[in-house]
Amino acid sequence: MTGTPDSRPVVILADDDEAITSNLAPFLDRSGFTVHVASDGEAALELVERLDPDGCVLDVLMPRADGREVLRRLRAAGRWLPVVLLTQVGESGERAMALDEGADDYLNKPFDPHELVARLRAVLRRARPGRRPLSAAHTLRAGDLRMDRIARRAWIRDAELVLTPKAMLLLDYLLTHPDELLTRDRLLEVLWGFDFPVGTRAVDNRIAELRRALGDDAARPAWIETVAGQGYRFVARVDDAR
Amino acid sequence: MTGPAPGVLLPRASPARSSLLWALAPLLAGAALAGTLQATLPGQRLYLFASPGLAAGVTGMLGAALVVVVIWVRMRTSAATDAALRRAAAQATQDRLRFLMRLDHELKNPLTAIRAGLANVQLAGAVNGTADALTSVSAQTDRIARLVSDLRKLADLETQPIETAPVDVPGLLREVTDAIGEIPAARDRSIRVSVPQAPWPLPLLDGDRDLLFVAIQNLVANSVKFSSPGDTVEVRASEDGDALLVEVADTGAGIPPDEIGQVWQELARGRAARSLPGTGIGLALVRVIVARHGGRTAIRSREGQGTVVSVRLPVTGRAETAPGVADLRQRRDTPGKTAV
Repeated sequence: MTGTPDSRPVVILADDDEAITSNLAPFLDRSGFTVHVASDGEAALELVERLDPDGCVLDVLMPRADGREVLRRLRAAGRWLPVVLLTQVGESGERAMALDEGADDYLNKPFDPHELVARLRAVLRRARPGRRPLSAAHTLRAGDLRMDRIARRAWIRDAELVLTPKAMLLLDYLLTHPDELLTRDRLLEVLWGFDFPVGTRAVDNRIAELRRALGDDAARPAWIETVAGQGYRFVARVDDAR
Repeated sequence: MTGPAPGVLLPRASPARSSLLWALAPLLAGAALAGTLQATLPGQRLYLFASPGLAAGVTGMLGAALVVVVIWVRMRTSAATDAALRRAAAQATQDRLRFLMRLDHELKNPLTAIRAGLANVQLAGAVNGTADALTSVSAQTDRIARLVSDLRKLADLETQPIETAPVDVPGLLREVTDAIGEIPAARDRSIRVSVPQAPWPLPLLDGDRDLLFVAIQNLVANSVKFSSPGDTVEVRASEDGDALLVEVADTGAGIPPDEIGQVWQELARGRAARSLPGTGIGLALVRVIVARHGGRTAIRSREGQGTVVSVRLPVTGRAETAPGVADLRQRRDTPGKTAV
């Protein structure tokens, strides 16, 4: 992303609403991406075949193959390019589903376009060309910590962690977004799908629960680091355990 | 919360007279039936009137049957009415949720497009003299986006499963007042929390701590918002039978009588709130959160004197005790102390 034409990442933007693509595509272009627009899922799949892009932004509700269907077909074909889903519903089930299906990230409409750019840059930076992204892995490992993402269970060595469903969701998000500054607001959205009035403490409480379960020391963290005044960062190296 | 219950105002027979009426009902009804038969079929000589004993017995049996039928019909009708009312209420809730979701859905795409368009214009650089307009349009767009997301929040909360775990209410109240302390306006209000320690500490509550935080936080923030420097805000918790009562009271502006019935509705904004920021979703959110915990909310207010909102949350099915509060529970179970 140096700004020269050659190094501009190529992304596909797929949304059936012309009002969105006609405003969002120029903005992404101004932000340093080369954008190709698809107005439905089949068109998005064709563009991926033809252009071999660096990333994809898919709306979940589209005619002729919705965003999920496109994502499933991409992953089934062994295409591991980063995908950001634009979700319509704020429900927790919807979010968990987006991540389960191997989306690298998701945003709820109506999102702040600058946020989309930030997420796109983050997923592109995290991308491991030709390799399955952590978000599409079944089992993840970070040191002594192991997580079965399908069963939503985690262990430290042989001891299973007892976590509330929300703490488990948070752990899953941290593990799939290692070494990334995750703001409290972002984590709040992961947990609840929306922002609470002054509820970012809800995030601190869940992080405290995770640290207790992991036996992590906030002062000298082996897993979760506090970024003062901003949020948290998962600092351990995460691998796809297959 | 004061004054007689509505039922007391209705005229009612005294209990003694009413039970005598009920005891005689079969006989009276039977006699009435026999009288009707006699009157409508005057040509027929009714055999049962040959013997007064037989007459009493037969009229009694006929009457009893009639009373049973009447009671049965009334019960069936009342059950059917109740069921119909419940169905109608459930349908209304469903319709409202569906409407909120449609509204949310229909507004999301245009809002996303507007935001992207504005971001484009901002990146391109504002033309002379349009910077203020651009800032204003952006702010208003954010405002609509917030409103849409608040309505969505409400619909979500009514339907999504809630996580329950033992909640230590005094700790929760401390957390709420800490958070409120960060609001600038809270600095010149006197905010007090009172939690009983004797004869025993408050029991744990089964609930979603995050949601309960939002509910209580909203109430305290409202008290701060609708009061002035020097006013008092009290947050009180107490045990009330099988429930926990949390009250948030203030010596603020109070709510005019004609607005008090609407405060729990979404988007309700009183006249006093028009000059203040907010979307009018706070109390509706509180109501939904409390209802999802099986609790009830009530509000009392006097214009110019203040407001108290009470939240009654049932304490049921506590399966476990939070580690930090285990010693408190033990103390509660010490023999020699009986509940009053």
